[in-house]
Amino acid sequence: MLAPWPVALPLVAAAFLAGLGDKLPRRLADAIAIGAAAITALCCALLLAGPPVVYWFGGIQPRSGTAIGIDFAIDANGAGLAVLSSLLILAALFFSLKYFDKPAHMFQVLLLVFLAGLCGFSLTGDLFDLFVFFEVMSAAAFGLCAYKSREVGPLQGAINFAVTNTAGAFITLSGIALLYSRTGALNLSHMHRMIAGHDDSLVLAAAALVCTGFLVKAAIVPFQFWLADAHAAAPTPACIVFSGAMVEAGLYAVARLQGALFGLPQLRTPLLAAGVATCLVGAVMCFAQRHLKRLLAFSTIAHAGVILCGIAVLEPGGLSGAGLYVVGHGLVKAALFLCAGMLLHRLQSIDELALHGRGREVPWVGVLFALGGLLLAGAPPTAMFFGDGAIHHALEAHPIARFAVTVASIATGAAVLRACGRIFLGLGPREPDAPGGGEQDEEPETEAAPIPWSMWVPAAFLLALAIGSAWLPREHAGSAAARMLDAHSWATQVLDRAQPAMPSPPPEEPLAKGLAHAALTVGLAIALALLTLFRKRLPEILRGPVRAVWNPLAGSLRALHTGAVGDQVAWLTLGVAALGASLVFS
Amino acid sequence: MKARLVLFGIGALGFAAVWFAGARKLDPMGSYHGAYGEILNAVSVPERHSTNVVSAVNFDYRGLDTLGEEFILYISVVAVAAILRKQKDEEEEDEDEAPTQLREAPDSDAVRLFGVGLVPVTVIFGLYMISHGSVSPGGGFQGGVVLATVPLVVYLCAGAKTYLRIAPPALAKGGEGLGAAGYALIGCLGVLAGKKFLENVVPLGTPGEAWSAGTITLLNLTVGVAVGTGFVELISSFVEELLRKAEK
Amino acid sequence: MIAPLQWLLFLLLAVTGPAVVLTREPVAQAVTVSFYGIVLALVFFLHQAPDVALSQIVVGAVALPLMILLAVAKVKRKEASRK
Repeated sequence: MLAPWPVALPLVAAAFLAGLGDKLPRRLADAIAIGAAAITALCCALLLAGPPVVYWFGGIQPRSGTAIGIDFAIDANGAGLAVLSSLLILAALFFSLKYFDKPAHMFQVLLLVFLAGLCGFSLTGDLFDLFVFFEVMSAAAFGLCAYKSREVGPLQGAINFAVTNTAGAFITLSGIALLYSRTGALNLSHMHRMIAGHDDSLVLAAAALVCTGFLVKAAIVPFQFWLADAHAAAPTPACIVFSGAMVEAGLYAVARLQGALFGLPQLRTPLLAAGVATCLVGAVMCFAQRHLKRLLAFSTIAHAGVILCGIAVLEPGGLSGAGLYVVGHGLVKAALFLCAGMLLHRLQSIDELALHGRGREVPWVGVLFALGGLLLAGAPPTAMFFGDGAIHHALEAHPIARFAVTVASIATGAAVLRACGRIFLGLGPREPDAPGGGEQDEEPETEAAPIPWSMWVPAAFLLALAIGSAWLPREHAGSAAARMLDAHSWATQVLDRAQPAMPSPPPEEPLAKGLAHAALTVGLAIALALLTLFRKRLPEILRGPVRAVWNPLAGSLRALHTGAVGDQVAWLTLGVAALGASLVFS
Repeated sequence: MKARLVLFGIGALGFAAVWFAGARKLDPMGSYHGAYGEILNAVSVPERHSTNVVSAVNFDYRGLDTLGEEFILYISVVAVAAILRKQKDEEEEDEDEAPTQLREAPDSDAVRLFGVGLVPVTVIFGLYMISHGSVSPGGGFQGGVVLATVPLVVYLCAGAKTYLRIAPPALAKGGEGLGAAGYALIGCLGVLAGKKFLENVVPLGTPGEAWSAGTITLLNLTVGVAVGTGFVELISSFVEELLRKAEK
Repeated sequence: MIAPLQWLLFLLLAVTGPAVVLTREPVAQAVTVSFYGIVLALVFFLHQAPDVALSQIVVGAVALPLMILLAVAKVKRKEASRK
């Protein structure tokens, strides 16, 4: 009964606010937006707590095994993503209350439609409906990204975002067309029954094409170029949803399609390779940033790589790890973005070097930021910690991927802690003229003012939730992951109205091993942060070789991130060709 | 630049190869063996009283997709309006010196006559398409765009002042919200009646008549309103500074 | 009877598609994209999809070129006011 509300409610509220928003008192408009998001979160949470359900819109049940209508096929993974999305939108709505100097009900409208898109995307069981909600989400995201379009420079980031993601969406649509021509159906389970065991080159090519659009959204190498530009352009409250839920939604779609529709073991190697590359590129680029929002954006790329590695093993263990990781990462990363937003609000800058020592004015932001950095590196207790452990456990047979995942945790944690030490403790020497990457600072979004409660409360709330997420029932996540990969069970539930029993969860990694690993990554992250801050005090014999490796590595990677949209589309074409060729011609 | 072309060239070749490998296995053109279409052709008139099966699919069997699509258009219009308006706020100071290009009514009587002839035909055609979506090809989306061209023709033939009189921005904005919310609310009616979201709750009427097919026709109406006013708002926000001058 | 028409329209698509890409001037491109839209609508109509053909006409041949023209006009007005 609850199924349609996560989509219908935000849409109605958005249309109402857009039509009447400037006539209503500001407080009332804010209350409507926040209320709609909160009720949506509640509906999704109830769906998450329940067993998998199938809801046919219009009451149009399948006839003799043929799905005619559109269904929401809701399981813990989809409902969980919807809960996470609505919590992040809620935080973004609160944070934006005092963030824009002028009333911003259009911003709220965009956020609400974005939420409806994300919820529909997470819950649907129909391939074309998935694409429609993907586009709802994208259209709203483009608007959010370009919202503070005062200068040409930032607007370019929004244009890059729109062009690359639309190109990806076209490729996905062409894949859907191929599959439709083969099956004459659009329901995931129905299509699965028609293509299962017939994975000829049409199905393989279609799988590559369909996945491409979602991998672009997930910022997987080599589709990642748009992400940092878009985050630098977007207002902070939009960034938290982009990084915390939208990127993960792309990965969720890949897992969902693999589980319910394709079931192709051939996907393992290309996805794993892409995951490893994403971890490493994200880690290096993250560490090389001084613009805080870009730093966090590149760390999102690294973590998307980690999540993809968990998904790519195509086993319940890795998938349930990825699910937990998404929850923890989304909450932590959103809190970190809010901290960056508070710095921009209070100190009117977001450049790590320019802010040297100035964070002492706002020590509480520093505490939140440091806590976020530690959790990002994999410190317990969060769902991210358990997810990290499960992903490592699942990657037992893939040492390179394990290494890449570890590097991603260390480097992103170290980058955040380094920025934290420099800004809030004034550690390290002042480096006023250190070479930056061209993009160092951005225009403040507000007049400098003390930080209002509507900004720090959401950040603290998200971190508290991140810590609370450690107590999410992991067996539930494990069996939901096993169920997600079981296309046959889904098909019987969707098409034959059966209620298959939930599978048993995969074995977990022993806690001690996870704790030891977390101690290692967190310790190395702190050490790396301190070493970077005090590198001038190290003997030259140590600094020389590091510089000789690091400078060309970071320099050449940076050189690839030109910010030119033509380059990004060229990489996209190359990426889809590589993914397709690895599936079709192997 | 050259490196990019090489990169793209390799990528495009690979992409073409993958596409060709997939498309090679397609069935010959025109063959159809899905059960889906056969079932719909058989059931849409008896069940939904809609002689246009495409409308039955768009607004009933797969009505949720259309809800999403309507909101894609809606949110795009909202986003464009928000972005253009925001830029306007910051450029208000240098706008006063902008050369006046206010669009007055054209000198040519022929253009005006053309407009006078075109507007009524377009209005009737648009309304017909929206209201007959469940009977014949067309529907709320197509009819809405056709209707939206009316203010545009007026703008071209009678100038900005007349445009503002027949399509005031507040009306366009309100209609857009009403149309978009209306679709979702009609969906909610199903739930309120104890059925599923988007399930039909109104009498079905006689197949082949304009007011038949229950919610299909109502949903067509909301889409027509949302799309028509949405396009008008889009046009208005592009020519906003000219319209504001006309207001003064 | 349909087959030669099909070939003719496919040929037109093959010509007008690249023509849109190769037209570099946005105003001219609005015209070529509109023509391309009409050809596409005819293809849909020929394949017995009148609903899609109608959508394609209103979007591809009317709305899209219109948006391009309006955007170009706005950019030009802004440039004029900068000067």
